[in-house]
Amino acid sequence: MPQSKAPYSDAAELALAARHEIISMTSVAKASHVASALSVIDVLSVLYTGSANISVSNMDNPDRDIVILSKGHSASALYSVLALQGFFSKDWLAQYCSNDAPLGGHVTSKGVPGVELSTGSLGHGLPYGLGIAMSRKKHGAKGRVFVVMSDGECDEGTTWESAMIANHHNLDNLVVIVDRNKIQSLTFTEDTLKLEPFADKWTAFGWQTETVDGHNYSILAKSLASQKGPKCIIADTTKGKGVDFMENSVLWHYKSPSSDDVTKAFDQLSENY
Amino acid sequence: MRDTFVKTLLEEARRDPNIILITGDLGYGVLDEFAKELPGQFLNSGVNEQAMMGLAAGYASTGKRVFVYSIGNFPTLRCLEQIRNDVCLMNNPVVVVSVGAGYAYGSQGYTHHALEDIAVLRALPNMEVIVPADPLETLELTRFIVSNKKPTYFRLGKSNEPIIHTTAPKIALGAINEISEGSQGTLLFAGSVGTVALAAEKELASKGVSVSVASVPFVSSIDVQYLTKALKKGPVIVIEEHSYRGGLGSAVLEAVNAAELQGSIGLVAADQNNLSQIGDQNFLRNTNGINIEMIVKKFIALQEAQK
Repeated sequence: MPQSKAPYSDAAELALAARHEIISMTSVAKASHVASALSVIDVLSVLYTGSANISVSNMDNPDRDIVILSKGHSASALYSVLALQGFFSKDWLAQYCSNDAPLGGHVTSKGVPGVELSTGSLGHGLPYGLGIAMSRKKHGAKGRVFVVMSDGECDEGTTWESAMIANHHNLDNLVVIVDRNKIQSLTFTEDTLKLEPFADKWTAFGWQTETVDGHNYSILAKSLASQKGPKCIIADTTKGKGVDFMENSVLWHYKSPSSDDVTKAFDQLSENY
Repeated sequence: MRDTFVKTLLEEARRDPNIILITGDLGYGVLDEFAKELPGQFLNSGVNEQAMMGLAAGYASTGKRVFVYSIGNFPTLRCLEQIRNDVCLMNNPVVVVSVGAGYAYGSQGYTHHALEDIAVLRALPNMEVIVPADPLETLELTRFIVSNKKPTYFRLGKSNEPIIHTTAPKIALGAINEISEGSQGTLLFAGSVGTVALAAEKELASKGVSVSVASVPFVSSIDVQYLTKALKKGPVIVIEEHSYRGGLGSAVLEAVNAAELQGSIGLVAADQNNLSQIGDQNFLRNTNGINIEMIVKKFIALQEAQK
């Protein structure tokens, strides 16, 4: 594992450290969703190294930014980032999913510093974030709201209900980032329920929409830096990114890495990053 | 009840800018004054109960006191998981307000009958379920809810419910409001169906039987001391405009069981034998077994059995 540089200011360094944590913790806990976490980790790393105005020191500031991970099954990604950035002890990661531990297999906010909303049932994060953005806009509070969603999650009706509401009220403080890894629970998104033309849908709902490389830190940071009205960033990603045998495989939505898998995965991270 | 609620909420909201009213595109002619006078504290979300409830929870997380208003099943069953996860689990102080309790929208059909809402919302953790009996209780309970910052379900009737309290009831969490005192038993009820309970009391009195009649607005916080005394006095009949399954009757039976009380309890609630039956509120109460005859019959039978 790379040496800790907490708190990280460089998204690439944070993402690499987090990838190690994600693979370790899902292996030790025999937990699912390692590939979902690896696909979204670059987005989260960019958000938590400056693109979102959020840090351990400004959590009590009502004008800070808010990040909601709506795809709650990627909990290991958010927990890794928060621990590496000093929101809570890294010891908690080692107890992931164990009895009476603070961190469970889906994102929980209770007693976990830095987590805004407990998620796990898809389609909840966007309406909730919409409510925070609406309140801030109506009552003059600053700070943006970033909701990180999965692409499969966009099957949920609340996504499009929320898209209409945000557009109608011109919520220029709300950003959706869709982790467009193109795989959902049972198979590929386009074989399950067609999302394409995906960007056109968001545009038609009145959102400023950009499709970007979801693993390119500078491009993500640039896209996150400005918005006109509600903004949807479609982060084009690879599920399982960084570990070739986990990439683009439905199997790794569920499979937990064995200790051999962990060794192989760490070797690949050394080669690839 | 709905007019009293909105009028009282408007009075509170004038004083407290943190009070927010959200509607799911319902309340024609009822919410206009609020919307016009306090547009910064009002939102018509549109016809989208699930997003609306998540939105309300997020809004409440910013320190606002959010009331969500709609008809019967729409702000309750349609968005149940949003209430469960985003309101109750996160302990956000959203107040879900439904109008049209029971058969208040009788002729509009079963989609508009609210008959399972108490059961479902009462099952949720952190949720206070509150059912006013008349406009006086509605007024006092609205003020109570504003000051009691926790997830709440407020189940209102519709319009023109008669006032059944002679004076404004004193509201305290869990308190049962006795309307008349008798010596041989008790009729407990929740909601505007109290008029039926009071008519049954008269009928029993004509047969020489004296019973207390009391409103139980706090369905999820039953006053066990009151129950203990009531059960010592004689049979208790629980009357509600709701399914037999999981409503006030069930709440009372659970409280009796938990406190290991002894006594006779009868339930008068909706049969739901013909879901598609059309008719006004009184007609549907009658055909579904929520009527004076049923209350009197059940009370006398329990009284006979106790002898």
